[in-house]
Amino acid sequence: MDNKKVVITGIGVIAPNAIGRESFWQALQKGTTGIKPATLIDTTYFKSKLAGECADFKAEDFLGPKGLRNLDRATLLVASAAKLALDDACLEITEENTDDIGVVTATTVSVAFAIAKFTKEVVDDGPQMVNPALFPATTMNYPSSYVAIRYKIKGFNTTISTGHSAGLDALKYAVDFIKTGRARAILVAGVESFSFSNFVGFYKAGFLSGRKAEETCSPFDKRRNGIVLGEGATVLVIEDEEYAIQRKANIYAQVLGVKAFFDAYRTADYDPRIRGLKNSMKKVLEESGLSEEDIDYICSSANSVQRQDRLETQAIKEVFNIYANKIPVSSIKSMLGESISASGGLQLAASVGAIKNSFIPPTINYKVPDPDCDLDYVVNVSRKAEIKNVLVINFGPGGNNTTAVISKY
Amino acid sequence: MKGSRRVVITGIGIVSSLGIGKDIFWKNIINGVSGISEVTSFDTSAYKCHMGGEVKNFVPEDFMPKRKVKFLGKTSQLAIAASSLALKDANIPIKAITSDKFGVVIGTTLGERSMEESAESWAKGGIKDLNIQKLFQAAVNNISSNVGIQFKARGLNYLIPNACAAGNYAIGYGYDLIKNGDLNFALAGGSESFSHVAFAGFQRLYAMSADKCAPFDKNRKGMILGEGSGMLFLESLESALKRGAGIYAEVLGYGLSCDAYNATASDVKGIVKVMQKALKDANVNCEDIDYICAHGTGTLMNDKTEAMAINEIFGQKNKGVLVSSLKSMLGHTMGASSAIEAAACCLAIRDGIVPPTINFETPDPECDIDCVPNKARKKKITTVLNNGFAFGGNNCCVVFGEVNSW
Repeated sequence: MDNKKVVITGIGVIAPNAIGRESFWQALQKGTTGIKPATLIDTTYFKSKLAGECADFKAEDFLGPKGLRNLDRATLLVASAAKLALDDACLEITEENTDDIGVVTATTVSVAFAIAKFTKEVVDDGPQMVNPALFPATTMNYPSSYVAIRYKIKGFNTTISTGHSAGLDALKYAVDFIKTGRARAILVAGVESFSFSNFVGFYKAGFLSGRKAEETCSPFDKRRNGIVLGEGATVLVIEDEEYAIQRKANIYAQVLGVKAFFDAYRTADYDPRIRGLKNSMKKVLEESGLSEEDIDYICSSANSVQRQDRLETQAIKEVFNIYANKIPVSSIKSMLGESISASGGLQLAASVGAIKNSFIPPTINYKVPDPDCDLDYVVNVSRKAEIKNVLVINFGPGGNNTTAVISKY
Repeated sequence: MKGSRRVVITGIGIVSSLGIGKDIFWKNIINGVSGISEVTSFDTSAYKCHMGGEVKNFVPEDFMPKRKVKFLGKTSQLAIAASSLALKDANIPIKAITSDKFGVVIGTTLGERSMEESAESWAKGGIKDLNIQKLFQAAVNNISSNVGIQFKARGLNYLIPNACAAGNYAIGYGYDLIKNGDLNFALAGGSESFSHVAFAGFQRLYAMSADKCAPFDKNRKGMILGEGSGMLFLESLESALKRGAGIYAEVLGYGLSCDAYNATASDVKGIVKVMQKALKDANVNCEDIDYICAHGTGTLMNDKTEAMAINEIFGQKNKGVLVSSLKSMLGHTMGASSAIEAAACCLAIRDGIVPPTINFETPDPECDIDCVPNKARKKKITTVLNNGFAFGGNNCCVVFGEVNSW
């Protein structure tokens, strides 16, 4: 059953600092930030002002001028990224292949805006007057379904909403489906859209940087005091290697393994023993047939939260031991913000770029070292390096810990 | 290729409008009792419909520590309760299975009501009225997380919001994970609390009946909204036999398809495909199926499309296959529906009884199937197809079979 190899053949990215795979890789290499004062919402009455918005994104550029009016932002983002990915993979969906192709999408918090919009109309105008076109987007599986409707992809359609780890969780679901033959090619999507609903929710819950200290998105930096909320969409086309070879696809990289575990500790809280994260890292190395020293780069999930960045550092030290401070670790969230279920896909796209273009994206905005975070974070400036194996980490305060290994093909 | 492990169901937990606990639930189901009553979760005076399948007499403290209850959204509470019942039913102490090979996969449609309630507070009073505790509860993945925390399940923990078929997606993936060895034990199913958004939305789509749900009936007027949770405890056949567990049924396989057609309406081609793929994955022929637990929402479109698809596959070789819809009794419990219905499939196999489709008065020539009208039917059931078709054309069908382990 483990004979099938799973490869990545297409990448579509809509990120706060770039649109399109090539531009994204270049932006990461330059250390270009996508974090700026928010423009999509009014932050006048809030202490937090920054966001990782895809401010230059125009859906019409990818989806044409018509039929977009009732679509929510998350759907527009992911449908656009899907177009980029399908083009990048040179994958044409036909009557013959559509039943062998599926979509799995990671998204969790974007739905809050659709629910808010629908509810506001019910409250303001009464339930008999609310626009019925607003109802479908209140279900989290809508963006994924729209991608299927638009591109006529019929094999299967699944949405995974596990918060911070959803991006890699969707990858695991897809890899499992390829290995069991449920599909031959899968669009692995991840999307979150920035909205007032999410911003206010995270602000009031105390997660955003800027409430009690200088607002900054500085993973591993001593000054870190919360996330800067980001948005984005990625679609990766992953395939059964045989299928990719058959259709002469360009193969970017191989997915060697994905492992997901749960802390079972406390709701929305970090397990101080980081058992799930360590377990996930150890088991994914095992699944990938690698040892600790084989990892050339760790694409971190550090997001400028005190405990997150420290706990991830600790987990890396305990798993990688003598190699821990020799393996470069960096957080692209320093440039993109924390985009929850979109992060995993962005990290995967970045990791493939690292492998293909032999560079390590930097952790930018780094000024003040933290003695508890003392690994090599490739601070502020990217670095040239031959990268063969990347460990990608997804973890957060929900208790989910999912890691993946991407490798040079 | 599939792993060679076989996956069985050894525990069932149900929280429903027909009772809390699988025994009372099943007794009411086979007696054709309706769980539909006047909605009390919110004020329905502005609506044309006032009926729903709400869970009655649910006391969260019966299933979780009192101090935790106020921190948990309703959908999480229902899922924890059903999971607790499933574990008890499986006769397996948590201490014995807590590990990273014990996982949780749960499906839902609208998630935690706390998100709707927050939206409502905001719309009525503004940001100042937002309740922080509700904000913490609102994220949908809390549902599976809370179950994982309660039962110390440290394996994979997934939340699959695949709307009206979510339960089947969860059960199917749980089956995949045990088969491939990622997990040894899984709690898989669905949970949904009575949603104001869904209630309003379905009304505006003219999909909701004012009084009752009458699947396959010529004069059917639509669905009735419901709530509840169905959780199955899954393990390998070998494990179940080794520890002498009671086995309800085996998961033989499942199929998925996507209509890629319309956000709310189904496409018959997609429905035909998903049922065929389920049969193929389970390695059974249509003649082997004794009972189809229909999606049967009671809308004009769904029932007609589903009946058409059933006849396309079963019409020639198995015209007499029994088809019934539990939604006639429970209403549409959304993310929980295919999971609660999966539980009924297992019980049908165990007892050789097929649940009825109640509220049936007038046959519809466009729904040319035996829908087991109004009265349950005794029949030896060895293989069952459980249908789930969701918004967005997200379809998933699971096949359950009697265990033949020798």
